Parts: sequence; C-alpha cells; structure tokens
Amino acid sequence: MLDMAAKALETLLEWVVIALMVILTAVVIVAVLFRLAGDSFSWYDEVASILLAWITYYGAALAALKRKHIGFDGALLAIPMPQRRYAAYVAEAVTIGFFALLGWMGLEVILVLGDMGLTSLPWVPVWFTQSVIPIGAVLFIVCSLLSFPGYLALISRGVSMEAVEIEHEIAEAEKQFGLAPHDGAAQDKKRD
Amino acid sequence: MEMLLLLVVTVLLICLNVPIAVALAVAGVAGILTFEGTNQLFDVALDMYGGATKFSLIAIPMFVLAGAIMNAGGVTDRLIAFVSALIGFVRGGLAMVNIGVSLFFAEISGSAVADVAALGSVLIPQMKKKGYKAPFAAAVTSSSASLAIIIPPSIPMILYATSSNTSVEQLFVAGFVPGLLGAAGLMGVAYMFARRYNLPTEEAFNTRRLRETFVDALPAFSLPVIILGGIFGGYVTATEAAGLAVLAAFAVGLWYRDIDFRHLHRAMLDGGMQTAVVMVLVAASVLMGGFLTRAQIPQDMAAAILEITDNKWVILFILNIFFLIVGCFLHSAAAIILVIPIVIPLVNAAGIDPIHFGLVVTLNLAIGQQTPPVASVLITACSVANARIWDVTKVNVYFVAVLLGVLLICTYVPAVPMFLVEYFYR
Repeated sequence: MLDMAAKALETLLEWVVIALMVILTAVVIVAVLFRLAGDSFSWYDEVASILLAWITYYGAALAALKRKHIGFDGALLAIPMPQRRYAAYVAEAVTIGFFALLGWMGLEVILVLGDMGLTSLPWVPVWFTQSVIPIGAVLFIVCSLLSFPGYLALISRGVSMEAVEIEHEIAEAEKQFGLAPHDGAAQDKKRD
Repeated sequence: MEMLLLLVVTVLLICLNVPIAVALAVAGVAGILTFEGTNQLFDVALDMYGGATKFSLIAIPMFVLAGAIMNAGGVTDRLIAFVSALIGFVRGGLAMVNIGVSLFFAEISGSAVADVAALGSVLIPQMKKKGYKAPFAAAVTSSSASLAIIIPPSIPMILYATSSNTSVEQLFVAGFVPGLLGAAGLMGVAYMFARRYNLPTEEAFNTRRLRETFVDALPAFSLPVIILGGIFGGYVTATEAAGLAVLAAFAVGLWYRDIDFRHLHRAMLDGGMQTAVVMVLVAASVLMGGFLTRAQIPQDMAAAILEITDNKWVILFILNIFFLIVGCFLHSAAAIILVIPIVIPLVNAAGIDPIHFGLVVTLNLAIGQQTPPVASVLITACSVANARIWDVTKVNVYFVAVLLGVLLICTYVPAVPMFLVEYFYR
C-alpha cells in the first residue's frame, strides 16, 4: 500500500518536474532568440525566476522521495546499532519539523500578500506563484515519510546512500552504452 | 557566541545525515529564534522563496539539461574516436584519450560524477582489456573528471558567482587556462606511468583518419563554440549561453539520430532533480545568510583575522588549507554555498580579487573530489574499475599532486588564471 502510494506520487512529481523544465527551457530559448533579434520580453526575468522556484520545490519533494538530497552519512554509519536507528529518527523529525514550519510560514505570507499581482504581469496573483512554498513543504513531508522505511532499512544494514547513488548512475550509463554490468566496488563504503 | 551556536547546530545535524540544506536552514531558524524572536519567523518563508528565484542560477538547469541531452546522444563514441585519432599514438594512448575526452565533457556536462559514470563505463573496461592496471585506469578517469569543475561551464562557478556577487562570465574565462594546464600535467603523469609499465599505443597517427573522425564529431563541437565563443566574445550572458546550449544539444541529438523520447525524459528529469537539490541549498543559505548579515558575523570574523595578518598571500594560504579540508567532507556545491558568504567579506577586505579567489576555491574543491571520506568522483571510478579505494589512491596521489601544483601556481601567480580576464573584460 505504502509502495503503491510512493510510486503514484513519484510518477506525478516526475511529470510535474518535466513539464516545468520544458516550459522553463522554452521560455529561456525563446527569450534569448528574441533578445538577439533586438526585442526583449519585459516579463522574462520574473516568469523564469518563478519557474525556477517551482522546479526547486517540486523537484526537492521528488528528491526527498528518492533520498537524493546532499548529505553526509559517514558519521551516522559509524554509530553502532541500535543507536544509529534512534539518530535517524531524530534527523527525520528535524527535517519534517523544519518543513512543517516552512509550510506554516508560507501560508501566513500568502494570507498577508492577499491579491497583490506580479510586477511585470499584474493579472497573475502573487499568492499563486508563492503557493509553491506551502504546497512544496507538505509534499516534502509526505515524500520523506514515504521513503523513510526504505532508508531506515538501508542504514540499519550499514549501506551508504552515496554508494547506492553511485551504483545507480553507473548502471544507467552501462544501460545507455549497452555495456555488460561491472562487478562494483562502491560497497567499500558499506559498513557494519 | 552566535557563530558558535550556528556552527554546533549545523555540524551536529550534518553528522546525523540531515540534508545539508535542512541543516543550514534549521541553524538559521535557531539563530532567529534565539537572538531575534518569533516575529522574524516570516523570514523563513520569504528567504526560502527569494533564494530559489535567483535569476542568474537559471543557467544551472540549462547547462545540466544540455549535458544530459548530449550524454544521451551518441557524442561519447565519436569524441573517443576523434581524440584517439589525435593523441592515441602516444604511449599509454587510452589514458591520454581518457584525459582528452574529459576536457570536452567538462565543456558539456558540468557534473564530474556524471562524467565519470558515462566516460568510465566506456573507457575503463577497454583500458583493463589492454593491460592497464585497474587502479591506474580508475585514477586517470577520476582525476581527469575533476577538470569538469575547473573548465567552463561549471556549476560550482555559477554558485560561487551568485554567492559572492561576482561575474560568472569572468569566472568562466578565468577557468580556461588552469583547466588546460591541469590537463597537460595529468597527461605528463600518465605518460610517466605508461613508460614505466610499458603500456601500448593505440594506433599510428593518420591524417585521413583524424579528418574523418573530426568531421564526424564536428556537430558536437558546436557546444563549446556556443558556450565559450558566445561568452568570451561578449555576445551572450552565461544564462543565455546555457539556453542556446540546450538548443544546440537537442539539434546535435537529432543530427546523430541518437535521441529519443526515453532519453529526453531522463534528461529533463535529471536536469530538474539536480537543479532542485542545489537550489534548496541556495535557498537555505539565503535564510542563514540573512541572519549572519544582520548579526554582522562575517564582518566581525574578517576584522578578527585581519588583526592577525593583513597580508593577502598569507590569507590565501590559510583559505587554501581551509578549503582543502572542507573539500574532504562536503560536496562542492554545499561547500561553496555554506562557506563563501562567510569568507567573502574577508576576501574583499584583504584586497583579493574575488574572481581570482573564485578560481582558487573551485580548484580546491576539485581536489576535494579526490579525497575521502566524501569523494564521489573517486568512488565512482573505483566502482567502475572494480578497484579498492586505497589501491587507487596510491596511484592517484601523483595526479592529485599535479592538481595541487596547478592550485599553487594559480594562487601565487594570479596572471595565469587572470590574464584572459584582463584581456577580455578590464
């Protein structure tokens, strides 16, 4: 059940991120070509920046689901079991606590901003563009909770997330070039 | 006192494997709550949103996307064929090809781990088949991939420019000569090993073959032409060059007929996710940076160090040591975002050119990619080569020595990285 929910959310977030990337790429390319032709869009900077913020928070939720945020697990893996598991619980609580605060404050800011519009496109309300903060925060919390059991199982076995990530990158490259799988040594990072 | 609190909170959370972005943001919140009160908590949402909307950072998703599209296309094989025809006749030819292709990959991807995974998967098995020892193959691949962050386009350089409020275009120009210098040095060390182990050459130099492989690889060269030519010539900004690079990468993929929906899907997703991971860090640094600035902490730190010495060469030496240590424990993006806002007032007060310093920082972090415990580039190469990290490190120490040599030259002979900047911009 939990796996199905995670898979569905992953698919949804992937398509949101891809759609935002396509739009941002199209906006940047068209704006550059027009600028080189001597005609600039007044809304380009503001709209592109907002798209970047949306990619940031929807992409961050997806990265939380896949446990891809930059971290350092060397010290955590050096802690003996079962204290390592308790430390992981504390770390997760801190992360979720911060995003809960961010979502709450994001909502307060939206309520204060009311019906204000963007500078270059006044008909676009600021609450719409800044809605990414509370929505992104809630999504981050949900994604963290969904991926936590898998993460806990890995670190309990002493597997470094960095090693998992590296093996994934290499497997993708081998698939792309049609090569035979390597034996792998990233497990050197694995500790008991 | 404020600084000590922030430092303890940040280090403690990082040691618990809290994402570094969250550790930074929580430290910022702790600072706000302790010294400014709950009224300032609105800054959490405002800074985390404002930090993610920095226009100059739009270059990051564009360059990552261009690199991912190029990686997905058939560029790798064609580049290897061309570089092999160009320098494969030298003893240890495949090692030279490895370094030479890394130079080009640095142009198109900006991500050293992606370079190692893509290039290493193709070249390391070939090297082992031809009698190269696995640790040597891994060391060549790992050290040459670090050129990815020295030569433009470089995501750490974009982050540095934004964190220090300097010109990313000038920083790109400054990285060009040190990158070539580093590549020449790495080739020299590879040649030394090739003679010692009597490694084979690839094939005799043949002008016709060189011409044919060059023509075949020609569309791929459009990317460095657009990126470097556009920026060096002053026609486009870094962000605009990044947008055009995506367009060119897409055109090259279509030309080679190697790009399909699955590749594009993955390129877009990789680009989006890598961007998000870095941008959350940037946003969190804005939150903590806001508190630091209001508390005048970086300025106080700069004044304290300047009381001990105001000699800029001594300060550069201290900062080099500091960044080499930081590079052992933090990824380059995290190191820049975390440390630059704190040290930049000191750099400015000591009269160090921030562009020169940006290059020095980038070089330090390139070396940091080769030094455990956090050495994702080295670990990726070890994994592909199926070699133990310690065995690879024993060979890699010679290549790292070259990079350290380049760092020393660039630190104490600023003209090396800066003469092109002076020529184009000043």
